Amino acid sequence: MANTRAELFPESAHFPSSNFPQVVTVNARPALAYDASTDETAYWTAFAPQGLTGTMNATVTYIMASATSGSARWGVQVEAVTDGDALDLDATTSFDTANTGGATVPGTAGYIDQLAITLTNADSIAAGDYVRFAVYRDADGTSGTDDATGDAYLLGVEFRDGV
Amino acid sequence: MAILSDADRRDLWAQYMRDISDLREPCAINKTDLRAALDAMDQWVSDNQASFNAAIPLPARTALTSSQKARGLMLVISKRFVKGV
Repeated sequence: MANTRAELFPESAHFPSSNFPQVVTVNARPALAYDASTDETAYWTAFAPQGLTGTMNATVTYIMASATSGSARWGVQVEAVTDGDALDLDATTSFDTANTGGATVPGTAGYIDQLAITLTNADSIAAGDYVRFAVYRDADGTSGTDDATGDAYLLGVEFRDGV
Repeated sequence: MAILSDADRRDLWAQYMRDISDLREPCAINKTDLRAALDAMDQWVSDNQASFNAAIPLPARTALTSSQKARGLMLVISKRFVKGV
């Protein structure tokens, strides 16, 4: 049975120095507005929980601002740092290869969609690791089709293990 | 007048999508088709610049700069068609 291991919401996101989504409220709901023309990324930080086991996935929950057709493409990357790792955190990033997935957007703008992306590349995450998650919209379609018009509003990401 | 550069057309396309997103305005076509439509509009402007200019009476036709004429056209279109502007 799958277990929820982390819940990432817009209020706790942090951002790179460029190409990041805007923090917005949509009908009083916090959201991150991911652009349709440029890949944008947001980060979240957590500790990998005890009892972490099996395959993980990330379920991206989003709505479209305008699109009523086409597909949206999302990517999730994991950076897991274990005690003793030779990684200079104030100078280096070390995300694993992106895990990506896409879906046809709902036929009505504002309707919710939840896309589960298997974290095949999870940087060997283990319980107790200091972890960063990077979530981006693959707006330029590098990994697959993203042709839905306008912003995608990310409402949250749920990480599960044992899937 | 030459058509816009690819970079300018891309900027225009990105701005269009940001604008409709801010308005929460539904859009029934995908990004690719939208880009094609905007490119065609730019081409139409280029193809019809002479007739647009000829439609402007004197003395405005010769006294206004190209930018001033374009601003006028933009305001006319906005007033006629675009809500929220």
